[in-house]
Amino acid sequence: MILNIDKHEVGSIAVIDSAGNELSYGGLVEFSEELVKVIPVRSVVFLLAGNDTGGIAWSIGLINNGIIPLLLNSQTDKDLFENLYAIYRPAFLCVPAEGAVEYGFECKTERWGYALLETGNKRYPVYEELSHLLPTSGSTGSPKLVRHSFENIEASALNISTFFNLKAGDRPLLVLPLYYTMGLSVVFSHLYVGATILVTNLSMTQREFWMFLKEKKATSFTGVPYSFEILRLMRFFKMDLPDLELLTQGGGKLSRELNLQFVEYTQKTGKRWIATYGQTEGTARMAYLSPEFAMSKCGSIGRAIPNGELFLIDEKGSVVEECNREGELCYRGRNVTLGYALKKEDLALGDERNGFLRTGDLAYRDEDGFYYIVGRIGRFLKLFGMRVGLDECEHIIKSRYPIDCACMGTDERMQVYITDPKYKESVKDELVGKTKLVASAFEIKVLPEIPKSKVGKILYSKLI
Amino acid sequence: MAAIEKYNQAFVEVFGVKESALNDHFSKDNMKEWDSVHQLNIVAFLEEAFDIMLEPEDIMNMTSYEEGKTILARYNIEF
Repeated sequence: MILNIDKHEVGSIAVIDSAGNELSYGGLVEFSEELVKVIPVRSVVFLLAGNDTGGIAWSIGLINNGIIPLLLNSQTDKDLFENLYAIYRPAFLCVPAEGAVEYGFECKTERWGYALLETGNKRYPVYEELSHLLPTSGSTGSPKLVRHSFENIEASALNISTFFNLKAGDRPLLVLPLYYTMGLSVVFSHLYVGATILVTNLSMTQREFWMFLKEKKATSFTGVPYSFEILRLMRFFKMDLPDLELLTQGGGKLSRELNLQFVEYTQKTGKRWIATYGQTEGTARMAYLSPEFAMSKCGSIGRAIPNGELFLIDEKGSVVEECNREGELCYRGRNVTLGYALKKEDLALGDERNGFLRTGDLAYRDEDGFYYIVGRIGRFLKLFGMRVGLDECEHIIKSRYPIDCACMGTDERMQVYITDPKYKESVKDELVGKTKLVASAFEIKVLPEIPKSKVGKILYSKLI
Repeated sequence: MAAIEKYNQAFVEVFGVKESALNDHFSKDNMKEWDSVHQLNIVAFLEEAFDIMLEPEDIMNMTSYEEGKTILARYNIEF
């Protein structure tokens, strides 16, 4: 079985959710055996998984049987969902049982709060090593998917559990969604060591969330920069949480001030603080900063994770040898994914990367070998830790309104330039509706026209 | 700016709604998008606008337009 799940003690608990459900390792093995009887191997399934026991059980159960789930946000906008559906024609949908009737498909089985619906779509050829699919952008519903292999799962679980020192007694609190690479990597790496995952869909501003964390004695918390903003606002530093031993951060750069506050807090309370760097394309983590360097190398993403290799290349593609010189960050390791898919035929493609990934991030390395991210080559932002494609946002606007537009910005806020003041409100509404982000994440600006080159490419540098 | 204007502005900014949409029914139960990110953003806006720091208990209770006013009243903000 994947991740050695069947090697752990049958009665030990794999997952506990905040609704009170529990799943043992033995139960997970049984559930997986059950699934293979209902779904033909190598089918593609859209899995709208929430942060609950069922979400994890179905993700693991499907993957283990060689059935390929595309993990999606269960709140995915209807239009975006239909777009993905039309492109990938899944043979099955696995959706929260409540509301499953609305899809109008035959329900094959209902387990752990999820209904398995048969769509009637024919199966099609997929690559033999393909394990699962994740969206590149959780919110804009881009049809661009990341293709993962079984090897990616095993490699990332091994690497991550090694540098975090994970063990069977751990009880990680999972608030990040499963369709998000870092959320899923928490699942993989902890099931691998036989730990008990505490999963919740409660909001961190709910009283029940904090009760769950305390009562279930969570030992670690993994978050994106915004999660740590929330912790600070919730006066986390004053709380008494003796069981919580490890805080890990990824999903973009934390402000220096906040980073130092957490370093100081963890050092004072004898906990570990580990900043990490990763991407969906690298099955989550590719670099981490050891707790002993959290203060002296604050702001660094650290060094490559075990069994991985980081390096920089210049514009010409040659390796940058000297320190303190910028280049594109590259990674080599078995957790590098197979490649992208833009249409269903792409699911038959093999490994296009062979373990080598250009991250699209600009970085430099200091004299001690620590890496620092300075910018991004790719056209996306990480708003509230979620990757939001700028080109996709432009597409969302242009396909809805008869106007030209250009999107850019920082990880704090997206600037949207449009050419007609009449649409200011509606453009914002449309983006908020589609991405489900906070309205203040978007700033709409009006220009007489969008600056463009002779060949019609938007000149983003002229927008500032 | 009057307190109520500053207060309303936080909701207008965070939810992208018109001021006229704000009433006693504007709450977490009635708004699908009202999640922790929205809630915290409102708190952050209010803390800055009124130069206050809310207690965790009050942050957790900030779940409606109406309730928010009651909470702010405890920080000596009058509407």
